[in-house]
Amino acid sequence: MVQRLKEVDVVVIGVGMVGSIVAKELAAAGYKVVGLERGEARFTVPQFQSPAIHDELRFDIRKALMQDNTREAVTFRNQSAEKALPIRRWESFLPGTGLGGSMVHWNGQTYRFQANDFELATRTRERYGSNFLDPDVTIQDWGVTYSELEPHYDRFEYLLGTSGKAGNIKGQIVPGGDPFESPRSREYPTPPQKEHYSGAMFRKAASSLGYHPFPQPSSNLSQPYTNPEGVKLNACVFCGFCERYACEHFAKSVPQTIILPVLLANPNFELRTGCQVQRINLDSTRKKATGVTYIDAAGKEFEQPASLVITSSFALNNVRMLLLSRIGAPYDPATAKGVVGRNYAYQTMSSVASFFDEDVFINPFMASGASGTLINDFAGDNFDHSGLGFIGGSFIGAVNTNGRPIQYHPVPPGTPSWGKGWKDAVVKHYNHTVMFSLHGSSVSTRQNYLDLDPTYKDAWGQPLLRMTFDFPQNDLKMAAYVTAKAVEIGKAMGAKQVAGSPRKAPYTTTQYQTTHNTGGTVMGSDPSTSVVNRYLQSWDVPNVFVIGASVYPQNASWNPTDTLGALTYWAIDAIKNKYLKNPGRLVSA
Amino acid sequence: MTRRALSSTPRRVEAARALTLAGLMMLAAHGIARAETTGPASATVCEGCHGLHGEGNAPAGIPRLAGQSAEYLSKQLEDYASGDRANPVMQNFAKALSHADIEAVATYFSTADAPRTVIPSTASVPQLALGRRLARQGSEAKRVQACDSCHGPDGIGVLHAAPYLAGQSVQYLTSALTSFQLRTRKNDPGKLMTSVAGQLSASDIAAAAAYFSSLPTGTP
Repeated sequence: MVQRLKEVDVVVIGVGMVGSIVAKELAAAGYKVVGLERGEARFTVPQFQSPAIHDELRFDIRKALMQDNTREAVTFRNQSAEKALPIRRWESFLPGTGLGGSMVHWNGQTYRFQANDFELATRTRERYGSNFLDPDVTIQDWGVTYSELEPHYDRFEYLLGTSGKAGNIKGQIVPGGDPFESPRSREYPTPPQKEHYSGAMFRKAASSLGYHPFPQPSSNLSQPYTNPEGVKLNACVFCGFCERYACEHFAKSVPQTIILPVLLANPNFELRTGCQVQRINLDSTRKKATGVTYIDAAGKEFEQPASLVITSSFALNNVRMLLLSRIGAPYDPATAKGVVGRNYAYQTMSSVASFFDEDVFINPFMASGASGTLINDFAGDNFDHSGLGFIGGSFIGAVNTNGRPIQYHPVPPGTPSWGKGWKDAVVKHYNHTVMFSLHGSSVSTRQNYLDLDPTYKDAWGQPLLRMTFDFPQNDLKMAAYVTAKAVEIGKAMGAKQVAGSPRKAPYTTTQYQTTHNTGGTVMGSDPSTSVVNRYLQSWDVPNVFVIGASVYPQNASWNPTDTLGALTYWAIDAIKNKYLKNPGRLVSA
Repeated sequence: MTRRALSSTPRRVEAARALTLAGLMMLAAHGIARAETTGPASATVCEGCHGLHGEGNAPAGIPRLAGQSAEYLSKQLEDYASGDRANPVMQNFAKALSHADIEAVATYFSTADAPRTVIPSTASVPQLALGRRLARQGSEAKRVQACDSCHGPDGIGVLHAAPYLAGQSVQYLTSALTSFQLRTRKNDPGKLMTSVAGQLSASDIAAAAAYFSSLPTGTP
């Protein structure tokens, strides 16, 4: 029997980065907010403390902080002609679960997208003509511009305390920063983290080739910081356990260290953990949400009525929530009609390993998740793509995030994959190798999409999300191009051997690449090609907002978190100052 | 693992021999007659307060040096000299030392093997429990991480990075934390200790100091 609870103003599905910020803003504005989190409550003390948090087997191999895929998996196939199977062990991407969400295990790499990215379809047509792209590419403009988002980027970065060096303040190029970045209104809140030896080598080599190296913007802080919410963070100690782990030092910007203390102290907010939301409920018109139905950890079913529903879970789960709730028309690749699940995109990761003599000591274990040195010369549209046959690009950087014993063992190509030969090579190269990260953009295409799986269900009997994805030709060409450029930098560093690994098809879920899953509920100006409008409001059900990287129409050359933070503040601004004053559609369809 | 176990490795023995030789040469230069088992001449002056083998002087709040990492010890001496770690007595001594002297002293005490001293604890059980909790778990309310996160399990120290705390005296540990709080000591990278100490109350400091001083003298 379903228990109907007392109505609240707002229900937030998923209390991660987005959910915490949204809930904090609305609770502070006087609204009664309930946050439903499927995972457990957890805090820096005691859950994130070492030595337990440095357990590589538990967190890196067994993925202790991730969505429990024995209960809730994603099915996967490369092509729509294939049968999808459930991913029973996360490898290629790692959706988190629990209070604080996936941000708890992020690396802290905090980039803005460039102005061009938000108007990608228009700018590409203007610069390269309308026949430049492969016909299957479905990139589109976001419906919001960089200059509209700039104040929100700024607010989010100051919430995090991001450590970096500006390259462009109000149009003035600032030495030491990234000259390609779009103008920011002021300097980063804290100075960059210390540069690694590998970063210094990269800087020298990249400069000698005429490129523009800059310190990676990091939300593992270079110094103590008190954010505008009054929450204090400490400085990072370079322990090398960021991605896949939580930070024990209050030094990585995650909900627990930036906003949850303020949110949880507000009596207008109620956190309920262990609550698996089944669907957003609609009234008989199917144009108004009445609340949500969830099942708690004891298996009891509740209906939580609310005037406003905000889904702020992981990108893939936002898409699934709309599909399960039957909000918006599901995408059909055969006809290219429908919107929910459309324009799923990813990130096209390549890598380059530079092997040095044994008198060059890299010490990869002294690291934070974002203390690298990199260039944007081959990212986005920062170089002329005429004649190249692709759009997009990649940042290239010496980004050593760790030297952990189980997973980190770079060896040159041709090394035996097991036995004495492999062991000898690991010992020889462990401390004398520089790894470059090539973080490539991802175009959306007609054939890559998300829908509900017809066969497999979760522990509550609901269909799993099905992913159909392979790397588009556009992105494979991009990966080959930028990898060749990165190999040149490795050689200029004086490496004995440089091994480039451009991303190749087919996409496999058995090798870690990145957790930057985007799209599926994309934003835009046209309801026939987007799920939410420019304020992230559902076109179909105006009292539902979808906030997550699921709104990205395609993915850019940088990590998506900073842009998601900016979009969160952008949306909440519209919710507070426009929607709640006059509930209804913020944009007429 | 004890310092003794580490010092039995061939590399350590070799280093110790070289040190002894260096020490003897320095002694000869200074014309001071000393036994072969002792450190460099520049260490003589330290021994007056810190003990012959760097065992420290607990009641006087003088820290134990034996087995503390050479990197840590030399950094402290440089910082006493520069005033980043304010202490009039130590500043005078440190300023008089050359860089080579500092290296020699630091290396000597880092490999010194002083007797373990067990200081009878006068702390109450709740005080020790609070100290243990701060050491092992930290405090969400105070927003401080576990001391052991940097200082190693049971505060035995992490070579090159963080000094051991185990077995230091209450007096010394209290004054160290207080000096970070007051910023008379500002030689902590990333203001790490300043951040932590700034969040602690006087009773937290007393508890943490009582707890670590109750542990057996430890080195990594």
